[in-house]
Amino acid sequence: MRGAHRLSVWCFGGIALFFGTAAPDSGFAQESVAVRAVMVKGGVPGEDPSAAAWNTVPVSEFPLSPQVHWAPRIGEVTAKSVKVRAMHDGQRMAVMLEYADPSEDPDDAAALEFMIGDKKAHFAHGQPMAQVEGGPVNIWYWKNKDAKVLDMNAKGFGTLKAQSQQDVTGKGVYQNGTWKVVFTRSLTTGDVDHDTQFKPGEFINIAFAIWDGKKLESGDLKEKGSQKAVSSWWYFRAEPPPDYSAYLYAALAVGLAAVFQFVIIRKLRKGRST
Amino acid sequence: MKRKGRALKGGALLSPAILIVGMYLFLKFVLPLFTAPLPASLIFLYLALTVTGILIFNTLSGGSMEAFFGPIFRFLSGDGQAGPMKVARLLVLILFPLLVGWQTYASTAPSDHPPAENRTIHPAPPGEFVGLSNPVPNTPENVMMGKGLFAAFCSPCHGNFDGMGPAAKGFTPPPANFVDPGTIAQLQESYVFWRIKNGGVGLPIEGMPWKSAMPRWEVELKDEQIWKIIMGEYDGAHQKPRTWE
Repeated sequence: MRGAHRLSVWCFGGIALFFGTAAPDSGFAQESVAVRAVMVKGGVPGEDPSAAAWNTVPVSEFPLSPQVHWAPRIGEVTAKSVKVRAMHDGQRMAVMLEYADPSEDPDDAAALEFMIGDKKAHFAHGQPMAQVEGGPVNIWYWKNKDAKVLDMNAKGFGTLKAQSQQDVTGKGVYQNGTWKVVFTRSLTTGDVDHDTQFKPGEFINIAFAIWDGKKLESGDLKEKGSQKAVSSWWYFRAEPPPDYSAYLYAALAVGLAAVFQFVIIRKLRKGRST
Repeated sequence: MKRKGRALKGGALLSPAILIVGMYLFLKFVLPLFTAPLPASLIFLYLALTVTGILIFNTLSGGSMEAFFGPIFRFLSGDGQAGPMKVARLLVLILFPLLVGWQTYASTAPSDHPPAENRTIHPAPPGEFVGLSNPVPNTPENVMMGKGLFAAFCSPCHGNFDGMGPAAKGFTPPPANFVDPGTIAQLQESYVFWRIKNGGVGLPIEGMPWKSAMPRWEVELKDEQIWKIIMGEYDGAHQKPRTWE
């Protein structure tokens, strides 16, 4: 009887071990919500959108909307979606936007937006939120006629300002009705208050904006200022270096479970023979 | 006679097995006929509770414990086994460590998925927006005016009350579909008034205001216009505001 009791304790332990390890993953799979900056060896390909390395990284595509969140709004925009590729080499990172635009215009422009630090920031230029203390956003803005990328910050409408220290470089290439714009920067900078820091393995937020700078017959630009194609927040992650520790833990678990089985069966046989 | 007794004892495992399978089928397929489908984690919890209950019930006395655990112990110890039972035991002994290893890998392998977002869709409104009644008389003219305002200001995202306007596609979370009985039909007019007036940036932290594209319409619209929009919205979506009467 005592033997049976001991065995039942072992069995409860076994069941607890099984349930403990078989608990379902609390996360859930999401699709097309993140840009994966894959880790490459030998450096990122500078600002060249036509570099062969871009063909080897995964593509994410995000839908864009006309900016209707604040006035002046726009009802229809040229860019309906943007394809995004990204890579890093542990030191520098590069993000490439690719989108359709029927014409190349001097005022064509594109931008990336990130939150800075731990504070949440509204995707519309980090505008104030009533019940949440928000943080600033870091905006990387490329314009065709300027042929450069501006590293900027905003915390609310009308606060957009270029940084005194410019860390982002970039280049746009127009070909066959498509813009390819590359932004590059080091993963980290010394300025944690103004620059987004990219820590491999960590998911951060990213948003996109695109302007079709075509000149209309009226002389106005088709899209300018707040009249642009936008997305709200999606995710961005610089992939971490390969981590094989999960295989080690799994092998350890297999060994422990096998020992556990062996002890149980030995106890059972002993119990039966006495 | 001894054989029959053993078979009967082995049968003591049958009813718990039927109970567990029955419980799973009930939670997975029958209950959703009456309520929302249960998440996998909750089904898992209920099944764990069922297993615990079965174990407690079957260990109340020495006799019931022997009837319940006896067949399991005989199977695991492998005494006198031959043929298919021997193969089955071997499979269990191989598969159990592999299953534990696989589960360990699944729970420790670095995740490629972004963090799960538990956004509250209808968080509690601020106190000043609780219990307000629509001050605008519900006349056909006012409803018509509300629909006109809706078409001008809201339809780019909310479309024909279905959340499928031309500007809806790029935003996450997507604009609300008012035809869906899970949106404005669940809400009082005062709540909808708060959501339109303060917009996405008015949400509390559990509503993730930083993601919402809903404008803060108090900047551009008068309260009376917002109340009219609410009337037009309910009428156009063929819904009624929730009341406590």
